[in-house]
Amino acid sequence: MLRVDDLRVTVGAEGTEAVRQVSLTVHKGESLGLVGESGSGKTLTCRAVLGVLPPGAEVAGGRITLDGTDLTTLDRRGWDRIRGGRVAAVFQDPASYLNPSLTVGRQLAEQLRLKRGLRRGETRAAAVELLEAMGIRRAEAVFGQYPHELSGGMLQRALIAIAVAGDPGLLVADEATTALDPAVQAEVLELLADLRERRGLALLLVSHDLAVVAQVCDRVAVFYAGEIVEQGPTADVIANPRHPYTEALLRVASLGDWRRRDLAVIPGRPPEPGAYPPGCRFAARCAFAAERCAEPVEPSTVDDRTVRCVRAGELALVGA
Amino acid sequence: MRRLALALLAVVGLLAVAGHLIAPHDPLAQAPELALRGPSWVHPFGTDYLGRDVLSRLVAGTGTTVVAAVESVGAGLLLGVLPGLASLWFGRGVEWLLLRGSDAVMTLPFIVFAVAVTGILGNGLTQAMLAIGVLFAPLFFRVTRAAGLALTRAQYVEAAELFGASRWRVLRTHVWGKVAPTVAVTAAQATGGALLAVSSLTFLGIGVQPPAPTWGGVLASDLGFLAQQPWAPVIPAALIALTVAALNTLADDRGLRAAR
Amino acid sequence: MSTLLEIQDLSVEYDRHLVLDGVSLAVRTGEILGIIGETGSGKTTLARAVAGLAPVRGGRIAFDGTDLTALRGRARRAWRRTGALQYVFQDPLRALDPQHTVGTIVGEGLAVAGRQRPAEIATRVSDALTRVGLDPALAARRPGEISGGQRQRVLLARALAVEPRLLLCDEPVSALDASNRNHVLRLLAGLRDTAGVTVVVISHDLSSLAGIADRVAVLYGGRLAEHGPIGDVLAAPRHPYTALLVASAPSVRRERAVPAARLRGTGPGYDGGCNYSARCPFATAACATAPALSTVDGDRAVACHHALADLEFTS
Repeated sequence: MLRVDDLRVTVGAEGTEAVRQVSLTVHKGESLGLVGESGSGKTLTCRAVLGVLPPGAEVAGGRITLDGTDLTTLDRRGWDRIRGGRVAAVFQDPASYLNPSLTVGRQLAEQLRLKRGLRRGETRAAAVELLEAMGIRRAEAVFGQYPHELSGGMLQRALIAIAVAGDPGLLVADEATTALDPAVQAEVLELLADLRERRGLALLLVSHDLAVVAQVCDRVAVFYAGEIVEQGPTADVIANPRHPYTEALLRVASLGDWRRRDLAVIPGRPPEPGAYPPGCRFAARCAFAAERCAEPVEPSTVDDRTVRCVRAGELALVGA
Repeated sequence: MRRLALALLAVVGLLAVAGHLIAPHDPLAQAPELALRGPSWVHPFGTDYLGRDVLSRLVAGTGTTVVAAVESVGAGLLLGVLPGLASLWFGRGVEWLLLRGSDAVMTLPFIVFAVAVTGILGNGLTQAMLAIGVLFAPLFFRVTRAAGLALTRAQYVEAAELFGASRWRVLRTHVWGKVAPTVAVTAAQATGGALLAVSSLTFLGIGVQPPAPTWGGVLASDLGFLAQQPWAPVIPAALIALTVAALNTLADDRGLRAAR
Repeated sequence: MSTLLEIQDLSVEYDRHLVLDGVSLAVRTGEILGIIGETGSGKTTLARAVAGLAPVRGGRIAFDGTDLTALRGRARRAWRRTGALQYVFQDPLRALDPQHTVGTIVGEGLAVAGRQRPAEIATRVSDALTRVGLDPALAARRPGEISGGQRQRVLLARALAVEPRLLLCDEPVSALDASNRNHVLRLLAGLRDTAGVTVVVISHDLSSLAGIADRVAVLYGGRLAEHGPIGDVLAAPRHPYTALLVASAPSVRRERAVPAARLRGTGPGYDGGCNYSARCPFATAACATAPALSTVDGDRAVACHHALADLEFTS
């Protein structure tokens, strides 16, 4: 469904490389999680897929295809047809993506009219039904409410409703649950998983929290300093990580362990774009770094697992 | 643009301080036989109805005019900024009183008030300008309030209060630094307005006794002899207008830079 | 263990709406107490009330014997200048004066207290910055010139500079990613272990608290639902809301003893009764009367008529 080949994104006036050699696929009905620290390139990749890169950033290489359509060469009109209808998105702060002076119902109805071609008389019923399908209990009431009257969780559900109104094949969720309370976060994640099952929706989920990705995604791609360092089925990657950074992420992630423990940290900070070393970008913080790691590293794929590490085969890493 | 404005204001400032020294001729020297002459090498701006050199009069009059304008702005600042800050800090009662006081002053008509004050206190430019200053005060009051209102609820102000800082200390360390730029911009604009006010008053003959030269006074006398010297009023008018424009340019620019 | 902070029957009202309703809690000297709850639970209001930033409608707050709720004006300022209780705000962008340098900010408490000379203050500022893992050279920068994670630490440094006995941290790590989060949490644990500082951490994220806290208090709708030693409470919650929070917490390990879905429900919402009844799948007619906080198992207390004993949570 979605195929990203060797994506390269540059930012700034000098064309500093921020993302490179990113290749991933999301098949129909599948969910892929992009995980990494802030600045790792996962958000830029996601934005490139949606065609909403920030000013100054541009796709400098590679291809992005959605069911055969090349997204990298689309013009404005092409994007208008794609967005909402074939790919839709929800982001982190739901309130800022809604018009505060219009009721939620009206905004949803507008989307239904545009994308499904419903006539004015039909949109209200369809909208209420859709809101109910998103788990909003008093959908009739919510239809007539304004964004400021609703909680974060309700707003996010409403936005998901707007997103799926056009019956897209792919839904992109960029830190969609980060700002929500934990109980609500669980509900929204369950909703996303539910949409996958019932509607066959493919999901591209971006999060800095490995636990969130673990809960919802079949496959995971771990980003570090603009590259994918490990990619594979989520359960496998978590049980048997092959890249030291993945192992480090697992150590700091929430294990659901309630005992008092020494909280792990990853010492140091990731390199900035423009200051990337020629060899492995994680070497400076890696407990297993060897001399070979100063050489440029290419990803290697074995058994549905891609790892960017010269020592991948020889390290005994601990999973969760 | 900004440099031009600054340059012009520098010249005006210089003239204000040392005008009477720089003026080529004695601004008060009358020479009736040379009355109402056009521009010449000796008199670059010509002469007025009493044969006095116009250039010298304008140059010498700068001081009076500018000082008067600054006086009024100063009075306005004092009467506006301090109550503005007080209204934010000393509780609802004080706030209400000050707001109503400011509202009351804003209703007073400008020139009429000045005339009335000089009528009561005597016809001096200082009195007139203090009156104008009082009329400016509500402007500074409102501007200070507006700039400071958001700050009273800022979290870093709360943090300072949690350390046990007194209100005065909070005002001094956190609020003033943010309010001052806005007040400065307003002051620059107000000076332009004050300049116009001075010119208007002296035009009407209020506040300054002839034959002391002022820009407005020169303009007034020029208008009396429009038939003989139709171009004459343009010069003081232009001087007033350019100075006010320079002040406003500076204010705009400073305001824009503070906003960035 | 002695009690450092005693909150008795605290009620706070905003716009005729009761945000905190009769909350009683004791914070023991030298412990880390976590307070968890969702948006609207009143947890931030609780912290602000203790700090003196919220209007107290009823109840009493005592710090080491001193009645904080009775302090006003000059007496209150004098007490605040002792620096014994420090409140760390949630949002560094709003809580740091953008015009001041980091050095001025961190030293503000000391400057206000006025007990030290500038040179001493500078040393203490350097110390505080180092303690939170920042380079003392940062003192010359302004908040806008440093990163988000660094700003969060500056907030902490400002509170530490006055050597407090109690630290109230409002969501100190929510905006940070996992590794930075753990850095800061370790810092707080270190304060308890080596400097004997008592810390109250308000958070909506369970797992970060679990690593360092001794006890936890769960707030719901302005009332205390449950409290006790954190390991016990999270492993075997007695209140349905706590159980829901535990089940909802995302975890890298996918298996769960009880799925969150089983703990959600709509019950009859009893006006004047238990305020959780509207969401509780276990509500019965008994819930029409508000449950009182009652002791269970020695050090734990729950406010629930049904105090779940049949659901086990182990992970």
